[in-house]
Amino acid sequence: MSFGPRTLAGAALLVATSTAAPPALAQAAAATNYAERYAAVCAACHGANGVSALPNTPSLAGQPSFYAITQLFLFRDGRRDSGPMTAIAKEMSDADLRGYAEVIGALPPAPPTAPGAPDAQRVARGSALAQRLHCLGCHGSAAEGTRQVPRIGGQREDYLLIALRGFRAGTRVGYGPAMTEAMAGIAPTEIEDLAHFLAHLPVAASP
Amino acid sequence: MRLTAPRKTPRRWLTPVVTGATLLALAAGAWAQKAEEEPFWAKGRPKSGVGAKLEPVPAFPIPTAADQLPINKIKLPPGFKAEVWASGILDARGLREGDKGTVFVSSLFVAGKIYAVTDQGGKRTVKTIAEKLFLPNGIEFHKGSLYVATPKDITRYDNIEASLDNPPKPVMVYDKLPGEVPHGWKYIRVGPDNKLYVPIGAPCNICEEKDGFAKIIKMNLDGSGVENVALGVRNTVGFDFDPKDGSLWFTNNGRDWLSEDLPNDTLNRVSQPGKQHFGYPFCHQGDFADPEFGWGKNCNDYAKPALLTGPHAGTLGMRFYTGKQFPAKYQGAIFIARHGPWNRTQKFAGDVIVAWPDGKGGIEKWEPFMTGLVENNAYLGRPVDVMVMKDGSMLVSDDHNGAIYRISYKP
Repeated sequence: MSFGPRTLAGAALLVATSTAAPPALAQAAAATNYAERYAAVCAACHGANGVSALPNTPSLAGQPSFYAITQLFLFRDGRRDSGPMTAIAKEMSDADLRGYAEVIGALPPAPPTAPGAPDAQRVARGSALAQRLHCLGCHGSAAEGTRQVPRIGGQREDYLLIALRGFRAGTRVGYGPAMTEAMAGIAPTEIEDLAHFLAHLPVAASP
Repeated sequence: MRLTAPRKTPRRWLTPVVTGATLLALAAGAWAQKAEEEPFWAKGRPKSGVGAKLEPVPAFPIPTAADQLPINKIKLPPGFKAEVWASGILDARGLREGDKGTVFVSSLFVAGKIYAVTDQGGKRTVKTIAEKLFLPNGIEFHKGSLYVATPKDITRYDNIEASLDNPPKPVMVYDKLPGEVPHGWKYIRVGPDNKLYVPIGAPCNICEEKDGFAKIIKMNLDGSGVENVALGVRNTVGFDFDPKDGSLWFTNNGRDWLSEDLPNDTLNRVSQPGKQHFGYPFCHQGDFADPEFGWGKNCNDYAKPALLTGPHAGTLGMRFYTGKQFPAKYQGAIFIARHGPWNRTQKFAGDVIVAWPDGKGGIEKWEPFMTGLVENNAYLGRPVDVMVMKDGSMLVSDDHNGAIYRISYKP
């Protein structure tokens, strides 16, 4: 995964802020600055409005804040592994997790950049798979996500593939086994159709 | 794969059993068969209406700040006081007190950690003594050692209170637990017979009887000599031994999705260890045959509960009160934590109740004890375990807030 210099600088800045500033000052800054800190730390990879143009990197626009904080927590705890995010989250305080998650949760849902043309046959196969696996039972009838469950409609296809394969291999875990169990019922070639279908769903409004 | 086969690796961490060459040999249809699975908790959920939207209450991954805890919402009988005893303990669940006063705290899905809380003249320090564990809900302190039970094994940390900053490598006590995630997490105790009591919950919401599941077992402290204590027990996450006669009392979580109001969770007493069947999956709450598995079964053939503790109430930790601080009427009474239901549209419980044994194996009466944590059909806090401290006060853990409350009495 590419990891731009701006992000590195942002991460360094973040470390400096959270360790050097006196606690009271850091807290006061925390209340107001997370939109700016999102711009400095997250935007280079995830997009200024949360729509990612970077390969293998998820869009955050329209993600529930509860999902965002849960994932930041799992990165920080070393239970979800991703080089850049693990490094960034490791330095975050509880207040940072809350602050970033609030900003992410407020990013309005937006369509993906250049998703590519849908392949009707693959979309149809993916749609049948989504039904078979009860995907939308948890992720929402329009795949819009809710609380700790992410929005997956209109997510980047390459990222969806990484995520689904990770669950299937057991290398990505949540609190519970739900996703690993769901992916136990799918063949590797089917994962590609499922990701293709989800990536081409229209982006629905937040619940 | 047969569910009865002992499984070394829990499914949660499993890389797929079927890989590589076997995969190529499998027809596509085989995948379709497995794929009907919903998450285990969702099986049997209504397909439409309000019930279709029910799901476990998600756990927030950050403990509530001390000054935002719902301590002022807590209601208690006159003379009792609740205070925040410790905060910032993510996912705080099981509670045990060491000989030197250390309070050990377990956790479950969210944290996967074991904590130790020490008290230096009212100032408390929380240390993480083990982490990255697999649903380590079950803990027990016995003769200087901390026992930790996950769905797959039980380990022991010796001389733990002397080495909180540098905990020893755990010793394996027993590694033959099934390792299933559904109802696989533990609550463990050492009984008056010096045996370790361990539940093995049903690996599902409701499913046919399987060898090795839905029961309470006991074993020697070295893991040898396993024997059955109680059968037909769906999922107990709380038990204690009667100070009068040493008999085991346990709470049991009733099946999901039957209806808003049925069946109840239960409090039960084991009067004939190893010989009683408490009904699951055939009969619930002593008088209600399961609509699928109860045909041809008679509820009178199973051990009856001592008390019904509410539908889907999440009845968890329990303890007989043997302290000296609370008024005399609480002596020998059972305090029970109710987590509060997730699979019920109308939320309730989220409290601690107290029940009085009638001396004949049943319960004479019960009362709410610690309440006030349900507001606007949502939880402000969710009690998990109760523990009587050496000074007679009582600790209550709240995994929703990552906090421990202390309840004391002053006339």
